Amino acid sequence: MSSDTELQDEKARERLIDLAAEFYDQFAGGQIPEMELPTRTKSNIEYDEDSHVWVYGDRTSTRSANSVRGARKLLKAIYTIDFLAQQLDEGRSSTLRELYYLSESWDSKEAGFNDQDESNQLVEDLEIVSEVTREDFHMRPEESGATLMGPLRIREQTRRGEREIHCQEDVGEGGYQIPNNPDTIEFLDHDIEFVLCVETGGMRDRLVENGFDEDHGAMVVHLKGQPARATRRITKRLHDELDLPVVVFTDGDPWSYRIYGSVAYGSIKSAHLSEYLATPEAKFVGIQPQDIVDYDLPTDPLSDSDINALESELEDPRFQTEYWTEQINLQLDIGKKAEQQALASRGLDFVTDTYLPERLGEMGIL
Amino acid sequence: MTSFQSTLGEEEGIADELAQNQRSISIAEFFEKNKHMLGFDSGARGLVTAVKEAVDNALDATEEAEIAPDIYVEIAEAGDYYRLVVEDNGPGITKEQVPKVFGKLLYGSRFHAREQSRGQQGIGISAAVLYSQLTSGKPAKITSRTQGSAEAQYFELVVDTDKNDPEIRKSKETSWDRPHGTRIELEMEANMRARQQLHDYIKHTAVVNPHARFELREPGLDEPLKFERATDQLPAKTEEIRPHPHGVELGTLLKMLGATDSYSISGFLQEEFTRVGQKTATKVLNNFRDNHFGREMSWPAVADADELEATIADAVSGKGPEATTQFASGVADVLTSRERTSHYELVDIVANVAEGVQEETGKTFGKTVRENAVEAAWAELTHHEETDEGTESALVSTIHAAVDEATSTQKDDATVHGLAERLARKFAALEDDRHRLSRKALRALVDDAADATVEYDDAAFGETARENVTDVLWGAMRTVPDDAPPVREVADDRDAASDLLEAMRVTDILAPPTECLSPITAELVEAGLRKEYDADFYAAATRDAEVHGGDPFIVEAGIAYGGELAAEGSVDLLRFANRVPLVYQRGACATTDVVKGIGWRNYGLDQPGGSGMPNGPAVIMVHVASTNVPFTSESKDALANIPAIEDEIELAIREAARELKSYLKKRRSMQQRREKQNVLGQILPEMADKVSEVTGRDRPNIDGAMARIMNNVSVERRVEDGEVTLSIRNYSDRSEQLDITDIVSVEPEGLNGEANVVDLDGEWFVQWKPSVPSGESATLSYTVGADATFDIDVDGVEKERLTVNA
Repeated sequence: MSSDTELQDEKARERLIDLAAEFYDQFAGGQIPEMELPTRTKSNIEYDEDSHVWVYGDRTSTRSANSVRGARKLLKAIYTIDFLAQQLDEGRSSTLRELYYLSESWDSKEAGFNDQDESNQLVEDLEIVSEVTREDFHMRPEESGATLMGPLRIREQTRRGEREIHCQEDVGEGGYQIPNNPDTIEFLDHDIEFVLCVETGGMRDRLVENGFDEDHGAMVVHLKGQPARATRRITKRLHDELDLPVVVFTDGDPWSYRIYGSVAYGSIKSAHLSEYLATPEAKFVGIQPQDIVDYDLPTDPLSDSDINALESELEDPRFQTEYWTEQINLQLDIGKKAEQQALASRGLDFVTDTYLPERLGEMGIL
Repeated sequence: MTSFQSTLGEEEGIADELAQNQRSISIAEFFEKNKHMLGFDSGARGLVTAVKEAVDNALDATEEAEIAPDIYVEIAEAGDYYRLVVEDNGPGITKEQVPKVFGKLLYGSRFHAREQSRGQQGIGISAAVLYSQLTSGKPAKITSRTQGSAEAQYFELVVDTDKNDPEIRKSKETSWDRPHGTRIELEMEANMRARQQLHDYIKHTAVVNPHARFELREPGLDEPLKFERATDQLPAKTEEIRPHPHGVELGTLLKMLGATDSYSISGFLQEEFTRVGQKTATKVLNNFRDNHFGREMSWPAVADADELEATIADAVSGKGPEATTQFASGVADVLTSRERTSHYELVDIVANVAEGVQEETGKTFGKTVRENAVEAAWAELTHHEETDEGTESALVSTIHAAVDEATSTQKDDATVHGLAERLARKFAALEDDRHRLSRKALRALVDDAADATVEYDDAAFGETARENVTDVLWGAMRTVPDDAPPVREVADDRDAASDLLEAMRVTDILAPPTECLSPITAELVEAGLRKEYDADFYAAATRDAEVHGGDPFIVEAGIAYGGELAAEGSVDLLRFANRVPLVYQRGACATTDVVKGIGWRNYGLDQPGGSGMPNGPAVIMVHVASTNVPFTSESKDALANIPAIEDEIELAIREAARELKSYLKKRRSMQQRREKQNVLGQILPEMADKVSEVTGRDRPNIDGAMARIMNNVSVERRVEDGEVTLSIRNYSDRSEQLDITDIVSVEPEGLNGEANVVDLDGEWFVQWKPSVPSGESATLSYTVGADATFDIDVDGVEKERLTVNA
């Protein structure tokens, strides 16, 4: 391991111990131990006009040992801090799920987590108060499975030493798997024209099979539904560091627009990391409601929940643009939605030969 | 009737035959056959009743003499019978009175007194004597020694049931170790099946008589049951009061009228009744006049003054034009200036004006002239004439206005007018030209007119409307100034007496004074409960005096909760009347009904189905004190359902129950606090351990944080080089008064703070009572030599709210 990482681990560890020391001082001063956090609800999310991402607002809530509930939370926090500090000290890592099971073995019965949501949330809390990301605590999600495919050569710091990988030539059809902490990757060299984030595996495979990445210099990022942090982080790095345009290609339904939203603007759960994860310059390719009309795609009718979601998006400041208002109203009008694969109704090559070139051309990418 | 029948036959009549067998029955004989009415229906119950009567008497006697009662009850087996002995330390009974008190039924000092006492009729103890002689054949043995006398008197006596008189079997002087008091010994057929009721009776008596000491011995007890005094404060002495006007019945009133020395009714009222002075007597008399004589209707002068003057002038003859005019215009002026005038007022007015004119002109306006003038003027005021062309009447418009005022706006004008016309006709046709009517007669008039209106005008005229019309008209009528008849006339006239009684009833009169009552007081109710029940919580309430039927009464209630009281089953209800426990017939008692009707869930007690007796570890006590407690029967076991008393019982119980509610609420919150403290007491130390582990520092002291979280008061000791500092921090939201005793094994010196040191056998008690406002702290310091040990005790704050680290 490089001394760089060691230094970073040491810093993360220090921050954790500082947190513990805060509790210590509160105890010693006869104060009730407490931890202040931004309120993590929809109502406390604000659009940052400067960075064009969504961040937490000014409202905070206090987790205090004043109540039994609060005291339990803080006990769990200090046990988790201890665990994370040790893990950093030993240079190891673990998954969120492992943390959940590990808590069973702690000597305090009160400190154990009731479910994984609780432990996940606590780790997020600690990220916020310590201003250290989960990745730097060496905590990772179970698997993201998201992949890259495109003309990019990277160097990855793995536990087993450095690896140099070309994300087209050195990988199988599955592509290069994005590591949990994409900051361990160094970009070496590339021929990328633009970054194309794709929602579904089926579409990603179609693009790769048809050689879209090779033909157009596209970096195909597979989002796998709502994208994991690592996927969003690497997308942002590709944009920021390599100065590449980013486009997002999803199904044509309200839930997919939210996937675009979280790539572009950030999500509520990780709003404290929006500046680190979100790519506000990302553009939406489709499927647009307009495409359903223009290409006469096979559709499904909108369900009630789809309609509600669309209506709430009309109110969502993230979608308060002329473009989105027009598209969403159109979709409500026609009452239909379409999947990416619906393009196959025009033939398997339609998406790579016609649709994407046309759309990307319109958007000035190609 | 009988004699008439007996003459029908020639031979001796059956009635005469029957008459030979007819004779008066002695009360004692009556009792012999009706023992159950006095509570002697079985051997088991008879014993309890006998104890009860004897103890009640003993308490009454001692209290009257202002002696703290010391009462001894002994029940022993004596062959086939039980022997009951009750002894008190009362003032004793004089030699002459002993036989009558114990050997004559319905002999006593209480029956005629309006004063709170246990015994009332003078039946109880002599009934017990009678019961004993009937069942065992043995005489009652009475010993009594009056204060200051050298020897005690000893009697053996029975009740002569034929004559209801005592029959003395033996009488002698004897010595007795008590300086004063009375002892009664009865032998009777009995059994101890009612042991529980007997114990309850004594125990409950002890609860409501915390100033008394009791001792009970009975065959089932290994040790005598003793109930000690909880207070030296004797019940306030009661004063006898005269009857209240609202509390007498017609028979009583007639008897009082017959017996009084007063001449006038006003004097009689002020003399014989409580709360009646000059003013009240006048009010009663006015009401009496209204009832007795009726009121006179008053009418406005409808005609103008000139017309009136002319009419009056016409009625006067031979007084010369000047005097006549002066007189006529005088009367007419007065009448037109008045809103309305009744007949007697008119008579007065005419007389007044006549006197004036007489003085000025020298012409005599005699009786006849005045009468003529009155008649003429009255005829003008009450002019009513019906012809074919229509009705010309001074009365209709007046009555119309009154009816209109009295009825709702829904009545159309035709109906109102129809009724007014009919009423006017009836007034005009009244036999008493003065339009004098009792309210009842007035109502009859209104009813007649209304009935006719309903029948002929096809209009509705209901009960309320009739009553309202009557009210308004009655209000326009004047109470007449006739003199009320003297007492002796009223006494002989049942109707007049009834009018008087009614007048007394409707007059607002101050509630009777309460010095005739002796409530236990809330404080002593609580002390009594505390003495006999080991509970966690006690509450009591005493209501203000109220009146029912002229008898004042006071209701008190107490509640004990928790502790050693049985948690299963329904709560215990203790009922008392004039400090006497009611043992039997709980289900028939008004008290029970009231308790069952209260929603106890509101007060934190379990109540299946939301009504009925509540469940839980509680005792509810109700005491009704009155000069005349309304019982359902002579055996005095259950209070009758009198709404006024039931209301007060409910209010008293609710008052005490509200305290119970807040206690239970507090207890629940204390319990939650305890639970919270238990959980946090586990979590926070673990947290502190972990924090010290992560930071690599010593374990922090978490007591301050703990106390703060629990809004507690923390007491902390620090000892450094023999310098001891006790610090108190008050984290609660209110000021706290602490009472700290710090027991130190060596002598503390240099005490810095307001504390005292007491040396007790080589241990030093540092006593410190700091008052610490919310959020603030207090410290006490002192120095001790080496090897001192400390033992601290902190009072004044609930255990749950205290964190002691000292």
